[in-house]
Amino acid sequence: MLEVFIYESTTLLDQLDEILLDSEKEKQMNEENVNEIFRIMHTLKGSSAMMGLNAFSNLAHAVEDVFAIVREDRSKMDNVSETIFNLVFQASDFLKVEIEGIQGDDYAPKDPADLIQQLHSLADVMNGKAPAPAQAAKPAEEAPAVGKKGFCSIRVHFEDGCQMENVRAFMLLTQLKEVCDELDSIPEHPENDANLCEDLIRDGLIVLFKPASALDDVISVIEKAVNVKSYEVLSTTEEPEEAPAAEPEKTSEPPAVSAAKKTSPPSASEPSASHPTVSSSASSSAPVETNAHKNAVKQSLISVNQSKLDQLMDLVGELVTTESMVASNPDLEGLKLDNFTKSTRELRKLTDDLQNVVMSMRMVPLTGTFQKMNRIVRDMSKKLGRPVEFETIGGDTEVDKTIVDSITDPLMHMVRNSMDHAIEPPNERVANGKSETGKVTLSAQNVGGEIVIKVIDDGRGLDAERIMAKARSNGMLTKPESEYTSSEIFGMIMLPGFSTNEKVTEYSGRGVGMDVVHQNLAKVGGVISIESAKNVGTTFTIKIPLTLAIVEGMEISVGKSIFILPITSIRQSFKVYDSSQILHDTNGTEMIMLRGECYPILRLHSVFDIPTEVTELNEGILIQVENNRSCACLFADQLLGEQQVVVKGFPPYLSRYDIKSSGISGCTILGDGSISLILDTNGLLNF
Amino acid sequence: MSEILTDQEAGGVDGMQGQYLTFSICDVLYGVELLRVIDIIMIQSITHVPHLPNYIKGIINLRGSVVPVIDARIKLNQEEAEYDDKNCIIILDINGPHVGMIVDRVAEVVSPEPDDLSIPPKVEASGRNHYLTSVANIDNKIILNLDCEKFFLDDIA
Repeated sequence: MLEVFIYESTTLLDQLDEILLDSEKEKQMNEENVNEIFRIMHTLKGSSAMMGLNAFSNLAHAVEDVFAIVREDRSKMDNVSETIFNLVFQASDFLKVEIEGIQGDDYAPKDPADLIQQLHSLADVMNGKAPAPAQAAKPAEEAPAVGKKGFCSIRVHFEDGCQMENVRAFMLLTQLKEVCDELDSIPEHPENDANLCEDLIRDGLIVLFKPASALDDVISVIEKAVNVKSYEVLSTTEEPEEAPAAEPEKTSEPPAVSAAKKTSPPSASEPSASHPTVSSSASSSAPVETNAHKNAVKQSLISVNQSKLDQLMDLVGELVTTESMVASNPDLEGLKLDNFTKSTRELRKLTDDLQNVVMSMRMVPLTGTFQKMNRIVRDMSKKLGRPVEFETIGGDTEVDKTIVDSITDPLMHMVRNSMDHAIEPPNERVANGKSETGKVTLSAQNVGGEIVIKVIDDGRGLDAERIMAKARSNGMLTKPESEYTSSEIFGMIMLPGFSTNEKVTEYSGRGVGMDVVHQNLAKVGGVISIESAKNVGTTFTIKIPLTLAIVEGMEISVGKSIFILPITSIRQSFKVYDSSQILHDTNGTEMIMLRGECYPILRLHSVFDIPTEVTELNEGILIQVENNRSCACLFADQLLGEQQVVVKGFPPYLSRYDIKSSGISGCTILGDGSISLILDTNGLLNF
Repeated sequence: MSEILTDQEAGGVDGMQGQYLTFSICDVLYGVELLRVIDIIMIQSITHVPHLPNYIKGIINLRGSVVPVIDARIKLNQEEAEYDDKNCIIILDINGPHVGMIVDRVAEVVSPEPDDLSIPPKVEASGRNHYLTSVANIDNKIILNLDCEKFFLDDIA
């Protein structure tokens, strides 16, 4: 999700710059451009608010305000157009720097407060609420670009007599570049002038920087650097800024400065009075870096029509088939073709790679969905005053895009339910002997061709009696009360119009939640089961069969058939050497004794009625498989190897026949174009 | 706009409407509406799927999609035979799902005049006529036109 946001915002900001530059050149904005900027800011505001980046959205909002005025009456911007351009450029640069920052691991948001302040006062000026600012603003005071506040400075002294101080200073700066958003030094570019050594020995090197994350990171780099004798922190970000009110609104700038600003974002300038020298030495390498990064981000995501992906997948499938048709063409039999074989091997390698890439293209990790839930939990936890720890497990589980789309809503409902109904207020939790902080866990797992998602809370648990009473009063019972099992009772909360929460809250209680969950899941063939214990918590388990997912499977052969067995369900495989391990029960069922435990043997060739020559247990191989309830050994001819396969459902024509219950969950197209069936341990063990 | 559409539709349908693809099974000529025919492919390796009626031979990979294949011989209560290179699989569109049908040999496309078509005789004891929509008589060749929906969606073999 973050990637999408970065991609989107960067594109929008680029667009914004383009419009601004054009308009500035023409010294006016046409209506279309004004609307476009307004729209861009509006979008940015929305998406950044969604990402929880308040600094972003506030700034975008301020710009939006200004353009709302311009949109209404464009003549209002005539007097202040240059200020508008400058401020919007600054805003755009600030956003870009921030976007770059977000991508780092430790992102510390910076506050655009005075930029916003300036925008607000600009809006006031335009509305005629404030007097037009003095025309003669001092250039020296214009320079501090508001987005650039927060520079720290550190004076570094090198060891006495370590020689080549200028080069050492340069090396230190290079190291610091990695932990700083922007970096400057006094003297500038020490590496260029050996004469600076004396200055460096006397005054030390003053490093001016904006830390990318914590100031301590920067300091630790300096501490670790070779030949550094001592350092002193001259100023940090906490240092009081000039009061924004005291700063005169800038209106007109000398043309030279404004021209410079157009081309390069205003950068490194020190607002604090402690280092007045700095402001002149501003604008160094930082803007260049910004641009380089921007391009990298732009390339990382591209949206593609899903049908094109399907098409590509089919084509690759065909390509692989054709490739093996060419390579093992009967016409070539008996010919000695060294070079040809070499080329086909190369081709095979490429098609294999291509197939892997295509297979992975439709798969997206659940991380994005989980992150959304994280936010919901956070917000609700604050609003409801219930501290909750949210844990996600298996967010990197990859599922098909369509499945991600269809489970987001149900998950949201369930997480909300857990927060609103299940987790008790802190005092109630403490009274029940639980820790004050509640816990909600969201986990995902790919189990044998099924995605299993669990929403677990340690709240008060479902109250079977209350559910029963509610069902009774709503006339939902269909059989005598004593005949209901606990899972049937819990299942009733998924009926339409069922909510035990008396109060309708902002989040839930309208009796639509679980109903919607149930329906949405049913659409993708998912099932939901509920386990709950009073005062211990509730676990919702969703299982969704995958119409398209990649499964790590073991190829096994039985006669001429090849089956795929999901690796997750395999415990071990082994050969039988000692026939005394084999037992028969009274029904003639074969069993095998393994480490003191007895497991039934399922002969795949007889289960699926496949003719094979391997019928003696010691000729073939036994594979011990398990599902969540039981364990058994499958007997197959041999193991062929591991392979990643794309699970495909059976064609709709065959849906009339109950193939799934016979132990086959789906099929897959192998690399050579042939189809192989995927075994389903659950079905097999119940067979 | 609507005129153009109807014209196109009429043109597209006109081309194939009333045409039949004929094929032989046990030396009897059968026909299916050409509109339903998606593809005709050579016989290829079929993956057997257990626990299905015997006339469903299994599934094949048709350009990345999985298509079930039935053997028309078995479905028509005829003797099963080994496949050779004359055998073809006709891929048909049964109002949505695609199904492959293994036939002995694909013959030709015919467009019978309305006069050539007659209603099939009443169901005889074998129940085979159940699947027929019409019988065509072109140049003294008898073609039995299959009702694809009934043929593929009914389980009666």
